[in-house]
Amino acid sequence: MTSVALLGQILDYANRADPYPLYAELRRTPVVRDESGPYLVSTYWEIHSLLHDPRVSSDIRNLAPEAKTAPRTEDPDLPPSFIRLDPPDHDRLRRLIMRTYGPPHAPRRVYGLRGEISGIVSGLIDRFQGRDRIDLVDDFSYPFPVTVICRLLGVPQEDEQRFHGWADTVATAIEPAVGTPEEQQAHWQAIREAHHQLAEYLSGLIAQRRRAPREDMISALATDRGADESPMSLPEMLSNLTLLLIAGHETTVNLITNGMLTLLRHPDTLKQLRADPDLVIPLVEELLRFEPPVQLLPERTTLDDIEIAGTTIPQGASLWLVPASGNRDPRRFPEPDRFLPDRPDNQHFGFGSGIHNCIGSPLARLEAQAALAELVRRLDNPRLVEDPPPYRHNAVLRGPRHLPIAFDGLSR
Amino acid sequence: MRVVVDLNRCQGYAQCAFLAPDVFAMHGEEALLYDGEPDGTRRLDVLRAEAACPVKAITVEGAGAAWTAAGAGVSNGP
Ligand code: HEM
Ligand code: SF4
Repeated sequence: MTSVALLGQILDYANRADPYPLYAELRRTPVVRDESGPYLVSTYWEIHSLLHDPRVSSDIRNLAPEAKTAPRTEDPDLPPSFIRLDPPDHDRLRRLIMRTYGPPHAPRRVYGLRGEISGIVSGLIDRFQGRDRIDLVDDFSYPFPVTVICRLLGVPQEDEQRFHGWADTVATAIEPAVGTPEEQQAHWQAIREAHHQLAEYLSGLIAQRRRAPREDMISALATDRGADESPMSLPEMLSNLTLLLIAGHETTVNLITNGMLTLLRHPDTLKQLRADPDLVIPLVEELLRFEPPVQLLPERTTLDDIEIAGTTIPQGASLWLVPASGNRDPRRFPEPDRFLPDRPDNQHFGFGSGIHNCIGSPLARLEAQAALAELVRRLDNPRLVEDPPPYRHNAVLRGPRHLPIAFDGLSR
Repeated sequence: MRVVVDLNRCQGYAQCAFLAPDVFAMHGEEALLYDGEPDGTRRLDVLRAEAACPVKAITVEGAGAAWTAAGAGVSNGP
């Protein structure tokens, strides 16, 4: 049987700025075993089929211990959240969250945040006044999504700063620990500490809202009786609320940062967007295809032998799907390496597919659309200072660590 | 503005109901109800819903957006 040695290269930081040629190489064998162990799946229809296959498990308890190599972001002291569970546990928890978050029970929860989102965007851009250079990541993309999650959940504004601190520390778990063993120890200790403080804070807020409910999502969760199913226990609430925070953080940061980077690399498209701000709607879909914040879906497990693309993946194998490669599959997308803001029939994998498809997608879309349209409208003559910019280490949640942008002035 | 949902394609993902709740509504967990002739104030909501539908089941006409004309879900599988 053939195997490749590509996963190591994909994870190698030297290839972070442009992993796409490696994905093209990978697509020559749609389903292939990597030397390091896992099976890699890189073509559109094969990824689609496995994302909809009940024999593919997201529960890492099904994975052999030596196969667990991807970084852990979850609080080890809480039960697993539904992104890492299979049916029926996944479905129960996802339904319970949905009852407080989306249609049919809470159809205006996300829609109702549009005003807040545009207010936060304007506020952050106003702070660029008097400057001729910003770091888009530190000055805009990074603080934005956490603020939105706070408003969604109902974290009081006076607590937002503390919440940002925990969110930032917890998010560092996706980067490899560096330094001496003592420093690495301290790094993990700080993450664990932030998890505990976050859990304690959320428990307090849940108790408070149970006594005096408001209109927010925490109140809805704290008071929901769960219709036909058993309502969430407190540890389940903590685990799944933390999931919303983690899953919606770095991803949204990267979508917005990748968005400005891509626009600045395509000046004609930037001009077009300035002239027609509504173009941001399909443009964000194309970004999710062209530069998806979630490049790989690591560590799924096969619960049975699976025949696909002429290969049999044996039961118990570790499966790494590569949606960022499927998004560039020429058998699915004509001219896949071109950025076409109004690309028709753009059924990308930016938010996954199947039972684990992203529940945050409506919120992330509204955030990215508001952010990019307003940045492009207000920044006068924006320019990249360096290309490529410095990237974060993480190959799964890929995006720039900094994105310095120079500009000539700021419109109202 | 005219809105048509291909209910054979629709998978009940509810993206439309999140982004344009005055035009699309979920009836229970799966069934979708919608207003086929929403008024102009819902234009952006409808365009957002159309773009977000994961299976491209929504077609919008008369919204003055060039990109919406070009083919909803033309690809069904390998
Ligand atoms: C641009 C921003 C975002 C991107 C690119 C993104 C991407 C994804 C992807 C690819 C998945 C599938 C994971 C898998 O199959 O294992 C996913 C799942 C998930 N996302 Fe997002 N996401 C984003 C924003 C958000 C936000 C803002 C939230 C929270 C409000 C969120 C919450 C979730 C949750 C809870 C899941 C798990 C769903 C499940 O397992 O059923 N995401 N996301
Ligand atoms: S977003 Fe598309 S698939 Fe989902 S309910 Fe609406 S029309 Fe159906």
